[in-house]
Amino acid sequence: MSEDVDAEFLGQEGLAVTGKARMEAAYGSGDGDEKLTAQVSQSSVVGGTIFEQKYRPWRGELNPRWMRNWSILRHHLLGIVKKGHKPWGWPLRLALLSCFFVAMGDLSLAFLGTVIGDSDIYRLFGVSRGNLYGHVLGFFPRNAICFPVITALLIGGMISDDRRHGTSAVYFSRPINRRDYTAMKFISIAIILGLLIVGTLVLYYVGDIVMRGEGWAWLIDTFPAFLLAALAGSILVFTYTSIGLALSSVSQGRFFPAVAFMAIILGSKLLAFLVWQLFERSVIYLISPYDVVAHIGQSLLGLSSDYSHPWTWSLVSMLLMNAAALYVLTSRIASMEVSRE
Amino acid sequence: MELRIKTIQVDEKLKVYDIPRRIKVAILMENVIQTYSLTKSYGPHIALDSMNLKVQQGATGLLGPNGAGKSTLIKTLLGLITATEGEGEVLGYNIRTEGEEIRKRIGYMPEYDCLDPRLSAVDQIKYSGELLGMNPSVATQRAHEVLEYVGLRDQRYREIGTFSTGMAQAAKLATSIIHDPQLLIADEPTNGLDTQSREFMLSTVTQIVQEGGRSMLMASHLMEDVEKVCSRIVMLHKGKLIAQGRIEDLKGIDQEIEVHAWGGATKLEQELNDSGLKVRRTGRVLRIIKDDEDSYSTIIGAATKTGCQIRRMHDHEPSLEDLFLVIMERLGYEVKSSEDLLVSGPTSRKVDAPEELKG
Repeated sequence: MSEDVDAEFLGQEGLAVTGKARMEAAYGSGDGDEKLTAQVSQSSVVGGTIFEQKYRPWRGELNPRWMRNWSILRHHLLGIVKKGHKPWGWPLRLALLSCFFVAMGDLSLAFLGTVIGDSDIYRLFGVSRGNLYGHVLGFFPRNAICFPVITALLIGGMISDDRRHGTSAVYFSRPINRRDYTAMKFISIAIILGLLIVGTLVLYYVGDIVMRGEGWAWLIDTFPAFLLAALAGSILVFTYTSIGLALSSVSQGRFFPAVAFMAIILGSKLLAFLVWQLFERSVIYLISPYDVVAHIGQSLLGLSSDYSHPWTWSLVSMLLMNAAALYVLTSRIASMEVSRE
Repeated sequence: MELRIKTIQVDEKLKVYDIPRRIKVAILMENVIQTYSLTKSYGPHIALDSMNLKVQQGATGLLGPNGAGKSTLIKTLLGLITATEGEGEVLGYNIRTEGEEIRKRIGYMPEYDCLDPRLSAVDQIKYSGELLGMNPSVATQRAHEVLEYVGLRDQRYREIGTFSTGMAQAAKLATSIIHDPQLLIADEPTNGLDTQSREFMLSTVTQIVQEGGRSMLMASHLMEDVEKVCSRIVMLHKGKLIAQGRIEDLKGIDQEIEVHAWGGATKLEQELNDSGLKVRRTGRVLRIIKDDEDSYSTIIGAATKTGCQIRRMHDHEPSLEDLFLVIMERLGYEVKSSEDLLVSGPTSRKVDAPEELKG
């Protein structure tokens, strides 16, 4: 090989692209006296699994309607505590925990009063008709912040997410009818709200009995009030759920139903309060969902009323509000598509 | 034999029509979907017009321009909307009264997104199985099986929101086959897929039909896809059924001769038209409807007369695309390809269809 060749070919410097070099590149031909080593490229395939696509039939039995409905309920309820079900966000979980502690505040303070022997503290926070009412229908902080915020977070994406993601197709292309779908969504929300509102009432009542070792006479005296407070709490849960879900069903986003719910609950209360301040007519409170339920609750528990109009008006208003909300909810769900909306 | 026994068992539950049981079994053996003058109207607008549909076992393509009534038909077959008039059966169940029974046995793969993007694939598929009535443990096991089958084994724990279009389509397919349905209704299963994913999707659904022995109704605007998977088609137009049957048989409606002309193709086309032959022309390629064996000599005669060279002449093997174009042409539309009508919708139509087709 001549020394003056300025060339590189196949990694070999000084090797001119001659016919011979081409021959070597192509066939590895030489004079037969080369060094007996060879460089080979390494395969990029280092092993793996061959994908074999094989159709596997399924011969199982499908369970009846109640099992399908249970799966919807389970999906929404277990999502609060477990992965793999409805992915509720961390703000809801945090808010639920905070509101639970707030809701149990009266029991904690009653316990404090009992432990330190201060009867005034116990009178303020222990079980009584007024405090049972206050546990479910007290305005601040429960119905001013806790319960509306939790409801807003719960209903925000409950039905609107199905519209936005098209997941309604997964429900309605299966043997789920719209009544069951609506009912299960409703019950899911109502159970979570119910656990927070009525469930903590039960804890409060039972906790007080255990804490103070109350006897039968006390139980007979307070149990009817407890049941009526639980009933008032259930009416609150139903009303908040029906209004909230109706708002969720008319939207494709989470923000609108949540904000609209807060606006309806707190806005109507504020408006009624301002009108009442000006004209001293409590009838305007009939537009406020919270106030109509609170008025019914006060009447059920035999407490002195904050409102000057008859409680039956509030009952009618509550029924009308729920009827309107359920009408909107069912008609919107009836129009949900299996194809894109 | 097993199928026959199953069909007879299904038949025992039926309460529809007074058709003798023996005949009904025979019908069920043949047709997975059958409608009798099925009509659906929304006020004055007729979405389905007296449709007598027969979908046999195997794979059937559902074709039709936008607004032809495909979605309405699917929803009616699923028992989600009630027909205005007429009757229909899917897998032997009445579409008016037994919608739930139908939806238990059908797998529906919608065209658009239908999965929760925040759930993992396995959780979503499992939940969709539970909604059918599967036990949670069975649904979990089956979810793993079908995800492996659709090629998502390694991605099954990923959130659906992070999936590519192909993976999301595969997940949708998995959702629809978790209970091994007797009939799969797939709405545009290859929508938005790249070539590789499309091939995989088509081979998967073909395998479901051929190896799984299941039936499929596949709505698609891609003629090539339908031709690859389906042996039969149903074609709708403005709510009417305009064609149904085996693709091979339908292709026999019009046999064509393909001629590659050189130097004077326009004159040749004119001459052939004058001699009574029907000609479709794209540049130098002319397709002439073959009336009889004399058509060849007529073409050669016309070429001699006009001085046009014929470089090549042979019987044309039509594709489904050709079939579609011939059908649309017969309806009075001028279309260059199926895309014109199937994708862009009614605006591209030339509205001179026959009156009976609402033209």
